[in-house]
Amino acid sequence: MALPNQGTVDYPSFKLVIVGDGGTGKTTFVKRHLTGEFEKKYEPTIGVEVHPLDFTTNCGKIRFYCWDTAGQEKFGGLRDGYYIHGQCAIIMFDVTSRLTYKNVPTWHRDLCRVCENIPIVLCGNKVDVKNRQVKAKQVTFHRKKNLQYYEISAKSNYNFEKPFLYLARKLAGDPNLHFVEAVALKPPEVTIDMAMQQQHEAELAAAAAQPLPDDDDDLIE
Amino acid sequence: MDGQGQPGSGSGGAGSDCDAVARAFVEYYYNTFDANRGALAALYGHTSMLSFEGHAVGGAEEIGRKLAQLPFDQGRHSICTVDCQPSPSLPGSILVFVSGNLQLAGEEHQLRFSQMFQLVPNEQGSFFVQNDIFRLNYG
Repeated sequence: MALPNQGTVDYPSFKLVIVGDGGTGKTTFVKRHLTGEFEKKYEPTIGVEVHPLDFTTNCGKIRFYCWDTAGQEKFGGLRDGYYIHGQCAIIMFDVTSRLTYKNVPTWHRDLCRVCENIPIVLCGNKVDVKNRQVKAKQVTFHRKKNLQYYEISAKSNYNFEKPFLYLARKLAGDPNLHFVEAVALKPPEVTIDMAMQQQHEAELAAAAAQPLPDDDDDLIE
Repeated sequence: MDGQGQPGSGSGGAGSDCDAVARAFVEYYYNTFDANRGALAALYGHTSMLSFEGHAVGGAEEIGRKLAQLPFDQGRHSICTVDCQPSPSLPGSILVFVSGNLQLAGEEHQLRFSQMFQLVPNEQGSFFVQNDIFRLNYG
């Protein structure tokens, strides 16, 4: 969903809401996409900046109107108006901050209260940082709630397209959909230790085969 | 963005005492918030109540903790309006309503807010904040 003063397009477009604690890198993440950065619009009455991110798939173009807050989440939960008509979502946490992972269930609950049954991706950001506090194998929330999980590093562009590809496939109902053009991204600001990251991905895959632990990260009401 | 204008004031014919107290309080409150917000606890008493974006806390200690633990480092408030009224049924008390903008470090856009305080005289001849309701204006 575009803002009233924002251009619309004649190809499929979807409202994507991005939630998660302040400082987890939500804004940094959406700003990596260069054309979205040129076309973004801020609407002060609803306190949101909407970045239109286009991707080209084998089935044609798709646009995500990514709704990003102006920092209101640092004060408490977000208003329903931010979630209403959301068609897909990204929940972001910071792998260098345990608290931001601990708060994921609250963001998931707030989101699902307004948006029932939309595809959701959980993203653990800042995996380029050496001193991780949330290990790959400790991330289990997505398995309990049937979300997709990706490790990302916004500043290095690592896995930037993955969440969008997952959501595009779900929204199109086509598990074989793929992107056919590279998206123009800001140049990486940091590099990622790929050997280390491959180890994390292997841990994640191994953890997926393990039974779920007891309520260690369930929502405490 | 707007919000850099002179603070307006409307005291509703309440007299200048009320107005002067409200203005002095508002200046002190937001300067302290922006410099060292944990120190704001001293403005509250054990019966004080704070509703912060719908989250209610009570008592000076809890309120001080809530304000100190907000997950942002620095902010800069710019005040647009200050309105006040005396509360005759609570002698000496003053109701203060503030609107303004808040610039958080690292954020591109200012946030709009409204805040209401009930100032009640204390035994030391000064005031404490009996009630405090804060809301961001959006959505």
